[in-house]
Amino acid sequence: MQTPFIRISNLTKHFQMGGTTVRALDGVDLDIPQKSFTVVMGPSGSGKSTLLYLLGGLDRPTSGQIAVNGLRLDEMDENKLALFRRQTVGFMFQSFNLIQSMTAEENVGFPMQFAGIPSKERTRRSKVLLEQVGLADRGGHKPSELSGGQQQRVAAARALVNNPNLILADEPTGNLDTTSGIGIMQLLADLHQSGRAVLVVTHDPRMVRFATHKVFLLDGKVVSETEYRAASLE
Amino acid sequence: MKLLDIVRLIFGNLNRRKGRVSLTAVGVVIGTAAVVILVSLAIGLQKNANEQLYGIGDLTQIQVSPSYGQGEVVYSGGGGGGGSKSTSASASSSSAPGAPKLLTNKALEDLSAIPGVMAVIPRDYMMGGLTLKYHRLESGSNVIGIGTDDLSSLGLEATQGGVVLAHGTVIIGPMVASNFYDPNQRPGQQTPAAPDLYDQQLTFVFIKYDQNGNEVHKTLTYRVSGVLAQTQGESDWSIYMQLDDLKVLNEWAMGRRINYNKDGYSLVIVKVDNVNNVLDITDQITAMGYQAYTPQSFVKGINNFYLVLQIIFGGVGAIALLVAAIGIANTMAMAILERTREIGLMKAVGATNRDVLSIFLGEAAGIGFLGGLGGVLIGWLAGYGINVIALVYLAQQSASQGGTPPSVAVSTPAWLPVFALVFATLIGLASGLYPALRAATLVPVQALKYE
Repeated sequence: MQTPFIRISNLTKHFQMGGTTVRALDGVDLDIPQKSFTVVMGPSGSGKSTLLYLLGGLDRPTSGQIAVNGLRLDEMDENKLALFRRQTVGFMFQSFNLIQSMTAEENVGFPMQFAGIPSKERTRRSKVLLEQVGLADRGGHKPSELSGGQQQRVAAARALVNNPNLILADEPTGNLDTTSGIGIMQLLADLHQSGRAVLVVTHDPRMVRFATHKVFLLDGKVVSETEYRAASLE
Repeated sequence: MKLLDIVRLIFGNLNRRKGRVSLTAVGVVIGTAAVVILVSLAIGLQKNANEQLYGIGDLTQIQVSPSYGQGEVVYSGGGGGGGSKSTSASASSSSAPGAPKLLTNKALEDLSAIPGVMAVIPRDYMMGGLTLKYHRLESGSNVIGIGTDDLSSLGLEATQGGVVLAHGTVIIGPMVASNFYDPNQRPGQQTPAAPDLYDQQLTFVFIKYDQNGNEVHKTLTYRVSGVLAQTQGESDWSIYMQLDDLKVLNEWAMGRRINYNKDGYSLVIVKVDNVNNVLDITDQITAMGYQAYTPQSFVKGINNFYLVLQIIFGGVGAIALLVAAIGIANTMAMAILERTREIGLMKAVGATNRDVLSIFLGEAAGIGFLGGLGGVLIGWLAGYGINVIALVYLAQQSASQGGTPPSVAVSTPAWLPVFALVFATLIGLASGLYPALRAATLVPVQALKYE
């Protein structure tokens, strides 16, 4: 049997809020295969974003194991996690997180600085990626001069710049109008088609039609679609 | 991350916040300029003082005088009249505690034996009165008998004639001629110009008083074989003759024979090979029991004073820099609050803690560097301006009050701007340390969610 691309075992993440302990993830077990398009759905506070950040090595679990492509994130030190984020993962956020003072091209090229890629190569690769996301003529524009959909496309290009195996998207259509949202969904589907694993955390039910895998979260636990639907109707 | 990319990113980030960076850097500019100006001023003062001090004598010379010890003091005579005072110790060269240490010929040999001593030259003053006569002009002067034939061993040079003393000749200081006056000059009559005494016969009228209080004169003539170059020291106003010539005159004045082996010399000049050995040899001579004086110990004291002055002045500037440092720390802390999400993003796209630390430390050091650059420039220009204004003013003062004008008011050595720039950069770096460490250790997910 093939080893899953992502294997999560008995994962918990607890936060202290005031005097109480919030169990954001409470014993999650999950296997995600190579080159899958996974959509994680759940209401606010279900722990879906927490799961995404743990998968991306942006946070550390309270207990349990996370392995991505055979790498145990829960055992890595800060430097190895940074290297993991640089080489294996590309992030897209709901609020795009572009640097306002940089042009689209500079934003796309920004992660390559930390990988020590020379300036010329950064420019070349940024141009190629902007063309790939349909913004070839917008490279010199700053984020404030771009629409929401265009900004998210720049963020997508930035996520691809180090050629990662895994794209993690946190509510990528959350701040976009319907048309732009569909465009981004299509873009994510194209990335999946190009051979990458994509994991999207979303409220948007339209995203489900692109999914090869669906994960439903309720109160920090993975539940079946039936349980999820039943809970949603209540 | 490559160094060039870090530098580019740092200056790009500073350029993004021009207004705030400029305001913060102004504090550093003021502090650095204050350090440069104040330390330059202290160095300028020291230079001036040293210029004046080097006139007080050759710094490779040590003046050694006999020590009359701490021997038991015996008062002879007594009564209300105040008797004469003398020590009970004998005039031997014994080194018993309290014994006087006289500068006999044996002592001169001991001094010569000290490593680094080039020459030991005894000297003596004229005892009794003296009037100099040249044609109808008269003058008084300071006569020094010197135990060497060659005055160049004292570092003296001649502008006319030579520095070699022969029996029956004298070498005079450059100001001696200007002391001559006409005793018969009537009011309204023009003061005679200073005569050119080189190679002239000078008449020395020596004066002493006999037991009855009658003035006794002895007249001798000496040829002036040289006129010395100006040193701004004792030699300018003195007449040098051979010690043996002076000894004869002093014997006449005192009415008894002088035995240097028994009485010792009143003063000996020890000439040292290197200015750096002077203080060490002075200590050795003092340890031998003589009194040794070198202008260098005075110069050293003065230099120490100016060093303290430089530290105090530099400290005043450093306080301004310290205030600026707090400004930098504040600006950086604010920047990190504002850019928390950016820090989160950096980490999300693969920046290590070290990358983030380097960027924020670099930005803080960059503010220090830019402020330091401005401060050095302003400090240097201000120093230049002060020099121009102060030198004109001081030259006017010197012209009206006499004396040589100072050559410099504010002196900025090459190391000072470099030091100030490095110091300002380090201050910036140190100020940024805490905010940058905070930035580097932020948990990425918390930074990304920061509102």
